[in-house]
Amino acid sequence: MVGYGYMGGMHYDALKLIDEARVVGVWGRDPSSTKEFASKRGIKAYASLEEVLKDKEVQIVDVCTPSHTHADFSIRALDAGKHVFVEKPMALSLREADDMIDAVDRSGRKLMVAHVLRFFSDYMRMKEMVDAGAIGDITMGRAFRGGQLPPWTLSWFKDMKKSGGVVLDLSIHDIDFLIWSFNQPVTRVFAKVERLTHRDMTAHDYTLINMRFAGGGIAFVEGSFALPRQFPFTMKMELDGAKGMLQLDNQTPTPAKLFTADTSKGFAPETLHWKPTLHPLPLDPFYREIKHFVDCIVQDKRPLTDAQESRKCLEVCIAALRSAKEGAPVKLPLEAR
Amino acid sequence: MPQKTVRVGILGVAHQHSEDYAKSVAEKVPNAKLIGVYERNESDGRQFAKRHGVAYQKNLGELLSQVDAVIIASENAFHHSLAVSAAKAGKHVLCEKPIALTLEQAKEMKREAGRSGVKFQMCYTMRYHTVVSVVKELIEDDSIGDILAFVGVNKLNADAISRRWFWDKRLSGGGAAMDHTVHLADVMRWYTGSEVRDVYCEIGKNLRPRSGVEQTFLTTVTFESGVLGHIDGSWVYPAGYPTWGDFSVEVLGSKGVLFLDAFKQNIYFTGANRPDDKLIWRNYGCDANTEMIRSFIDSIVHDKEPLASIDDGIRGLEITLASYESHAKGRVVRLAR
Repeated sequence: MVGYGYMGGMHYDALKLIDEARVVGVWGRDPSSTKEFASKRGIKAYASLEEVLKDKEVQIVDVCTPSHTHADFSIRALDAGKHVFVEKPMALSLREADDMIDAVDRSGRKLMVAHVLRFFSDYMRMKEMVDAGAIGDITMGRAFRGGQLPPWTLSWFKDMKKSGGVVLDLSIHDIDFLIWSFNQPVTRVFAKVERLTHRDMTAHDYTLINMRFAGGGIAFVEGSFALPRQFPFTMKMELDGAKGMLQLDNQTPTPAKLFTADTSKGFAPETLHWKPTLHPLPLDPFYREIKHFVDCIVQDKRPLTDAQESRKCLEVCIAALRSAKEGAPVKLPLEAR
Repeated sequence: MPQKTVRVGILGVAHQHSEDYAKSVAEKVPNAKLIGVYERNESDGRQFAKRHGVAYQKNLGELLSQVDAVIIASENAFHHSLAVSAAKAGKHVLCEKPIALTLEQAKEMKREAGRSGVKFQMCYTMRYHTVVSVVKELIEDDSIGDILAFVGVNKLNADAISRRWFWDKRLSGGGAAMDHTVHLADVMRWYTGSEVRDVYCEIGKNLRPRSGVEQTFLTTVTFESGVLGHIDGSWVYPAGYPTWGDFSVEVLGSKGVLFLDAFKQNIYFTGANRPDDKLIWRNYGCDANTEMIRSFIDSIVHDKEPLASIDDGIRGLEITLASYESHAKGRVVRLAR
């Protein structure tokens, strides 16, 4: 594991449940945090990335570091003969993404980008229904994703050059899901990207994105970290087609609710923290995505969100940022700059 | 002191709202009296008159001579000529949206209304909806600080648009964008007190091949104040949708966020006959149509400016027409004023 932050912890918990995988060790930028993460979990603490890459025991490098390091760490791991599981966004530029694709090709190793939304129960079901023809020819999409700026937010996250802001960190999920569902290239993007309630950071906290697909369909994505502290993290998706409409909203399905004197909280099985003994069939999307990657390695299959596939939503994100900067619609494909 | 009774005529019944308007005038607004109806299609006009127990007038001038005020609910293409005739005859006008098909028409309507000194109110029903006003008050009470962005949805069940003229561009002037840009644009303008500076619109392909007008659109606006807005008034909800459509606005502010979902107060009805019966929502919220007509009558009796004025009608049409221009040219259109 490279990186021991919020996502690192999530990945570790999911990895622990996968029979075919074992976490060997962890490396991160800060030696004492690395040691703390390692000793709590009884795994090795590496002193450098080189040490990780030289370790023959390591077959997969799981990259959970700040976004601006994803491409570099992934390429180095691939070139050292390791498979790579990397958090999204795969990179912050198309040039880096193309370098990653080249590294996959020359190393013959597998790379998967953690587009975890494709492994959420509700989104998976929606995609299954689209593929089964439930709504016919898909015409329109509408997505919302938002909440407060994560309370664990670190300085890198607020730095546009390191995180890519709301578009590359948050809305990338919906853009990827829409591309997956429409199953068509995006031909035009128009976006507004702003800092609305967090003017003290360089990363954007709000975006409105219009996308146009090759088949003439259109989609809208709203992404927001500009919401107040009490706001629950909310995800909505709507897909409209000639034969019907599909909608989901993560605030609606609350099969379990807890009320106490000072708490009111809803739960769904997918969002409960892992209790493997109680859940023999894990629903956790993080478990599902990592299991998928491990299966792809064991069975020599192509990961659902490999470098090539993940470049598609990155391109739309880059186009959205460019559109906002230029105040004009941007046509795709972009030339890699 | 007994209040003056305002005699009202309905000009055109092509818009389905004419049914509710007639009922409000006849039964719900005490100092209004429904006198008669003019409609170019004699059979439609006679049936409507019979339903509401008033006289059908084949001759427009004859009806105008009997009333103090008119409600125009014809096909969009005839708003202009009917309004000009009414204004010239010195009759107050309540006009269905959009105000007209072109800005030249709208400006002539304004000139004529100004010349004869009659009241001219737009059927911007949402301004007269109690929940929409409550949100307006919450904004004015500084509950969310400064407004930063709006995201609005005013989508329709395509099946609810049963009147054929809506699908005929010569009579409607356009499809979903012509029909459902203005309600959201108007509420956003009303909430911010700022005018739209530029418009970008993406019109997508239709769900129904037979439709002669657009069914889907996504419009991004920027106000002169810098506030962002997004409008989706597509006709995409499928026939099985539990109601006619919706009207919702997210108002993001510097201190908080407000979510307005104006028609969310519903009793859920489910029928027992498979497979025809489906879930149906029956709204128990406020009666905005009646409130709008009560306010119109009030502005006549007490000589007050209508809350939704002719200028609001013109501003709305400007945004709609700029949306079509933006889509045709594939670029942002700046409003010239």
